[in-house]
Amino acid sequence: MRVLLMIAAASAVLGSVAVAEEEDPFADAVEMRHGLMLQMATDLGKVGAMAKEETPYDAAVASKAAANIAAIASVLSMDQFPAGSEYQKATDSFALPAIWTAQDDFLQKIADLNSASGAFQTAAGTDLESLKAGMAGLGGACAACHKAYRQPEE
Amino acid sequence: MRIMRWLVVLGLVGAGGLYVLARPAPLAAAAVADLTGDAARGEQVFWASGCASCHAAEKAEGEAMLVLSGGQRFPSDFGTFIAPNISQDPEHGIGNWTMLDLANAITRGVSPEGEHYYPALPYASYAKMEMQDVADLYAFLKTLPADATPSQPHELGFPFSRRETIGVWKLMFLSKDWALPGNLTPTAARGRYIAEAMAHCGECHTPRNMLGGLDTSLWLGGAPNPSGEGRIPNITPAKLGWTAADIVQYLTTGFTPDYDSVGGHMVHVVENMARLPESDRQAVAEYLLAVPDVQ
Ligand code: HEC
Ligand code: HEC
Ligand code: HEC
Repeated sequence: MRVLLMIAAASAVLGSVAVAEEEDPFADAVEMRHGLMLQMATDLGKVGAMAKEETPYDAAVASKAAANIAAIASVLSMDQFPAGSEYQKATDSFALPAIWTAQDDFLQKIADLNSASGAFQTAAGTDLESLKAGMAGLGGACAACHKAYRQPEE
Repeated sequence: MRIMRWLVVLGLVGAGGLYVLARPAPLAAAAVADLTGDAARGEQVFWASGCASCHAAEKAEGEAMLVLSGGQRFPSDFGTFIAPNISQDPEHGIGNWTMLDLANAITRGVSPEGEHYYPALPYASYAKMEMQDVADLYAFLKTLPADATPSQPHELGFPFSRRETIGVWKLMFLSKDWALPGNLTPTAARGRYIAEAMAHCGECHTPRNMLGGLDTSLWLGGAPNPSGEGRIPNITPAKLGWTAADIVQYLTTGFTPDYDSVGGHMVHVVENMARLPESDRQAVAEYLLAVPDVQ
C-alpha cells in the first residue's frame, strides 16, 4: 500500500513535470541562447578587467577570450530563436517579437556581431591600447541588437 | 460683496502679473553678438548634448544620425511630443535661423516668433550652457545636410496644447543653479558641466513632480520610464555601486560591470559619450561619484 502510494505520488510529480514541459515548448531554445549570451559576457569579463586595468594585460588570455566570443557569434542563428519564443509568451524570455517581424535586420545584427568580434580578435591580441579601443566596437554590436530586440529588465 | 469684488480684482491683477512674468524672455542680441563659432568644437557639443538622439529620424544609425529630419515620438504624461525637423532646410528646418535664434531656442526655450517651447526640448539643462558652446554648436549645425521632411504637430490635450501654460512652468523650474552645487575639483566640475548642462542625464534619471519639474532633492535617484514600462535606474553612487573605471567603461563600450550590455534609451547616450575624449568620460565618472546618495 505504502509503495503504491509512493508510486502514485511519484508519477503525479513526473506527470506534472511533463505537463509543464509541454506548456513551454521553448524552454530549451531560451536556455540555449541565454547560455550563449552569458558565455560571451564571461569572456568579455576577462578582457574588460584588462581594459579597466584591474588585471594585467595578457595577450594569450585576451586572444582566447576574443576567439571564444567570435566562435559563439558564429553559432548564433534563428535556431536559438524559434518563432513565438518571445517576451511574455515563453518563460524567462526577453526576446521581442520584432525579431520575427524584422528577421532580415535581426540576422544583419548577428552578421554585424560576427564582423565586430572578428576585428576584436585581432585587437585583443595586439596590445592593451588596441584592446581598449576595440571594446567599443564590440559593445556597439551587442547594444545595437539589444536596443532593438530585447525587452529591458525591470 | 465689496470684499468679493476686491478678491476678484486682486485675482485678475495676480493672474495678469503672472501672465506678464511668464511671457517668453528671449536673450538680448548682445548675448551672441561678438561670438564666432568653431564647427569642430561644435561637433563635440553636439554629441555631448544628444541633439541627434532626439532629432534624427526613428532608428537612424551611422551617417543618418546627422540628418536631423525629426519625427521621433516622445510620450509623456501631457501627451506625445514629436521632434521637429532641425536640419538646414530653410523651409522645413532651421536653415535660415541666426545664432541668436538657436541660442534662444535651446537656452531659453523661446522660438524666433517669440513663443514658448515645451521642455521636452531639454532647455532646462541647456540653459546652463556657455554661450561660446552654443556658437560652436551653431557653426557645426551649419555643416549638416538639409532635409525637406515637414515637422509634425504634437499630440497634446488641452490645456497643455496652449504654449502660454509653459511660461508658468518656466517660472517654477527654469534655473541656472547646479543640481550638485558647490566647489568641485576641476575634473568633477567638467563632469558636472557635461552631465547637467549638455548630456541632461537628470532629465531621465531624476523623478519629476506633479507639474513635470525635476525633483532636484532626488537628483539622479531613478524615475519611472516615460514610455510607461519599467524604471530608469537610480545612478547615485551607493545604489549604482560601480567604480570610476566601471563607469568609464560603460560610457565607452556600453558594458556593465557584469558584461551585460546597455539597453533602452541609454544606448544613444553611450554612443554619444563614446565620441567624446576619454578625459570627458572620466570627468562624468568623477562627477557621478560625487552626487549625494538617494535611497
Ligand atoms: C543578434 C542580436 C544580439 C546580439 C548581437 C547580442 N545579443 Fe545578447 N541578447 C539578445 C536577445 C534577444 C536577448 C534576450 C534573450 C532572451 O531573454 O530570451 C539577449 C540577452 C543577453 C543577456 C542576458 C542573458 C540572460 O541570461 O538573461 C546577456 C548577458 C547578453 N545578451 C549579452 C550579450 C553580449 C555580451 C553580446 C555581445 C558580445 C550580445 N549579447 C550580443 C540578442 C543579442
Ligand atoms: C529629449 C529630446 C530632445 C533633445 C535631446 C533635443 N531636442 Fe530639440 N526639440 C525637441 C522637441 C520635442 C522639440 C519641440 C518643442 C516644441 O515644439 O515646443 C524640439 C525643438 C527644437 C528646436 C525648435 C525647432 C523649430 O522648428 O522651432 C530646435 C532649434 C531644437 N530643438 C534644437 C535642438 C538642439 C540644437 C539640440 C541639442 C543641443 C536639441 N534640440 C536637443 C526634443 C529634443
Ligand atoms: C534618454 C534617457 C537617458 C539619459 C539622457 C541618460 N540615461 Fe542613463 N539610463 C537610461 C536608461 C533607460 C537606463 C537603463 C539601461 C538598461 O536598461 O540597460 C540607463 C542606465 C544608466 C546607467 C547604468 C545603471 C545600471 O544600474 O545598470 C548609468 C551608469 C547611467 N545610465 C548613467 C547616465 C549618465 C552619466 C547620463 C548622462 C551623461 C545618463 N545616464 C543619461 C536613460 C537615460
